[in-house]
Amino acid sequence: MGLLNPQNVIYGLSLALLVLIYLRSRSRPTIEVSSLMLFDEAPAPAASVRHVRIDPLFWLEMLTLAALTFAIAGLYVMRPPSPGHGRSHALVFDLGAGMSAREGAGTRIDQARQQAVEVIDQAPPGDEFSVIAYALEAQMRHPQTANLADLRKALGDLVPMAVPARTAALRAALIRARGASEIDLFADRPPAPAILADAGSTARVNFHPVGSGDSNLAIVSLDPGIPGSTRARAEIRNFSARPLPAELAIDLGNSEQFHQTMMLAPREQVVVGFGPLPAGGLLRARILTPDAIDADNTRYAYAPSEVAAQVLVLSPDAAVRDDIARVLLAVNANFQIETADPAKYVAPSGPNAKPLELAVMHDCYLPAVKAESTLLIYPPRAAKNGIGISVDGTLVSADIRGDATGESTALNSLALGATRIVAIPEWMDLLATATATGHSSIPIAAVGRAADGPVGVLAYDVRDHLLLAPDHLDALVLTVDLIKQLTAPHDILIVPTGADVSVPATGTARVIQPDASVRSVAADKWGRVRIRPLQAGRYTVESGGVTTQVLANYYDAAESDVGAKPQAEPSAPVRKAAAASNAQSAKEVQPLVFILIALALIALTVESAMLIGHTGRWGMGHV
Amino acid sequence: MLEARAFEPEYLRKLDRLVLGIQRARTVRSGQRTLGRIQGLGIEPENFKEYAPGDDLRFLDWNAFARLDELMLRTYRADRQVEITALVDASASMGLPERDDKLGLALAIGASLAYIGMADNDAVRIGAFAMHRGAMKLEATPFHRRRESYLNFKPFVTSVRAGGETRLGAAVDELLLQRRPAGTVVVISDFLVNEGDVEDALKRLVAARHDVKVVHVMGEQESTAAYPSGLYRVRDAETGEVRETVLGPAGVAALRRSVEKIAARIREICMAHAITYAQAFGAVNLESFMERELPLLGIVR
Repeated sequence: MGLLNPQNVIYGLSLALLVLIYLRSRSRPTIEVSSLMLFDEAPAPAASVRHVRIDPLFWLEMLTLAALTFAIAGLYVMRPPSPGHGRSHALVFDLGAGMSAREGAGTRIDQARQQAVEVIDQAPPGDEFSVIAYALEAQMRHPQTANLADLRKALGDLVPMAVPARTAALRAALIRARGASEIDLFADRPPAPAILADAGSTARVNFHPVGSGDSNLAIVSLDPGIPGSTRARAEIRNFSARPLPAELAIDLGNSEQFHQTMMLAPREQVVVGFGPLPAGGLLRARILTPDAIDADNTRYAYAPSEVAAQVLVLSPDAAVRDDIARVLLAVNANFQIETADPAKYVAPSGPNAKPLELAVMHDCYLPAVKAESTLLIYPPRAAKNGIGISVDGTLVSADIRGDATGESTALNSLALGATRIVAIPEWMDLLATATATGHSSIPIAAVGRAADGPVGVLAYDVRDHLLLAPDHLDALVLTVDLIKQLTAPHDILIVPTGADVSVPATGTARVIQPDASVRSVAADKWGRVRIRPLQAGRYTVESGGVTTQVLANYYDAAESDVGAKPQAEPSAPVRKAAAASNAQSAKEVQPLVFILIALALIALTVESAMLIGHTGRWGMGHV
Repeated sequence: MLEARAFEPEYLRKLDRLVLGIQRARTVRSGQRTLGRIQGLGIEPENFKEYAPGDDLRFLDWNAFARLDELMLRTYRADRQVEITALVDASASMGLPERDDKLGLALAIGASLAYIGMADNDAVRIGAFAMHRGAMKLEATPFHRRRESYLNFKPFVTSVRAGGETRLGAAVDELLLQRRPAGTVVVISDFLVNEGDVEDALKRLVAARHDVKVVHVMGEQESTAAYPSGLYRVRDAETGEVRETVLGPAGVAALRRSVEKIAARIREICMAHAITYAQAFGAVNLESFMERELPLLGIVR
């Protein structure tokens, strides 16, 4: 017998209150009378009922309150399952990238599926199963059912994703499985004891480990360098405890740039340099050596064009113009940068005017400036009329809180200077927010595609060499990321797996996934479709005759380390808890809520009947 | 509060036509002097009796002696005004239960009787008694005869407060020590005292040739035992004695029996001594009491 939430027993104070009311009502009031002669024949109280009188109404109310209190607290009993009433199982599967690791003839998910089938087959008839999967988040793949055919189909539909299995997702999956009497967890690494404790489940958790191999190679990063200028490089890591050969091939477009087989020492990470690349374009690195996980064997990067691109930097502050120009050259040395004071700038016109690749406007906005991409830094109020970004005011200081997409953990807390309060339109994606006095969250970085092309916004001021200050590196990183996004080719998006990607589209877009499957996605009112690549590789989005390539890269050091077995041995208290859990597993939780509420209702009914009886006896209309 | 009603003009108008029937004429033996008594000299012959040595020769009927040659004394009916005393119990028991306003009822009755008594220009006074700290405290107004002076009773009547113990015997002793001529004494009390004390006190009043009338006052709640059911700790207002009791249906019945028993016993005592007895149970029944019970006290229209 137990209470699901002992804190709710605080409602038991109502019992104490009732007793107090009872005692108060039963206390003997002292009345002054003219003479005790009148009371000579009145009966004296019997000694046996001096303190507690048997008052049926009191005891009925006591019973009602006690039943309701325990019902709220979730009183339950553990009892063996009754004959004919099956137990409930929750089959929880890890669908992280590690589960796609090859093990013998199949993969780890195949092993997990096989083990799950054995669990189902060994279960007595009548038992019910649910299927829950987790990676980035928990998902109920199939609710409780005793239909084994449906169950096997649900198991067959489980496909690992090229994303790491998040701890929060496992915790959520266990919480979803809390109602089951038994939880079977299929994963390639045991859960941390704290996660089991957090789930608060009384059910027995059976961990079914899958996978034993550790031979995995992964491309950690791919840097294209600057075509014709600096060398490109790729990082490769051996997660195995033994040396492994790695055959690395790197292609630029359709031409191979690098192909080499190397031997990596146990758990070694090497940097392979090559190039400089002869031209810009899509760069693809591949590990051709067969290993456990395929998703981390391919990586894409985009090499900026070696062709000079025109960039205009406008700022009323000369120092800011100089700082931004330095940053732009660091991003792409092929940029031809023109800086000007917006008060004196006259946009060139006529056939000799060179098209601008990017226009960076700091603390100014000139609608006459036309460029393929626009970056507004510390935009003035006038920006609303041109682009639709409204500026509602200026803050003296703000504090970067973190990046909105959750991809970067570098942005922790950084004090910024003057910052505009910018209202980001819905067609833009928020990249970072900040806090300030009187404002819990203000956007400071966003990017989106307007009618004239991509537009980026940085709300903070970059005066006083903010971008070059060593202690404001996060502001620089945010600026560089935004410039890279704005200058990237519009038909190629290179994103990490699991990220939300918005692609311009008209009407319904056709999305071809890496496994060649095709699905249709409707565009929203801003003319874009959102996809979330969960497999590494190339996604092709076709809409209105325009094709956009979304290239999803996967790498996660923890997930790709298929041989790691963190926290394999639970701590002593956890083992003890697990043992207790196992001892209870033969029984199942039987909540008594309904019984207690029924008891309370019966007691109330009896009390009402007694009161009606009293009413009749006393000749009163009501009590 | 109820005592104030005895001075309301509307109420007094109801009493205007009433007269207190008292033994106004007393048979006295002619020629016998009674020390300490005022001999009334009436003019209405009552009877004849043979002369005995020591009789007052002024009452000798000389005509009868001439005709019959026997010495005969003529007796007369004494026709005189009497003193009326309304003696109200003002002990603590008269103050409880508070909502009954028992003392107010007693004072209202006493004042009403005083008003009626003034109809024949009899000397009337109102007194209140209670034992305070072992000493009897008997306070009374001066005698008033005419109704014009009735309002002189009001300050006294409205100032009486309940308190102290009931000692009827001591109060009677105090009254008799005043050596007033025999008159009418109306004792108004709840008689929640030892019945021996009551009987002794009333006997002594009768022995002093007073025309004694008793008005037994009890409150509505007290006489009907209208207490909520429950367990009570009851404390005697006069003695402070505490007792625990249960007031349920049985307890209420027992209380009512006690009231009836006390009333019956007081009535018995009164009957045994030719004392007029009337009941005034319930403060709200002042008018009904005056209509229903006054005849028992000899009030005539």
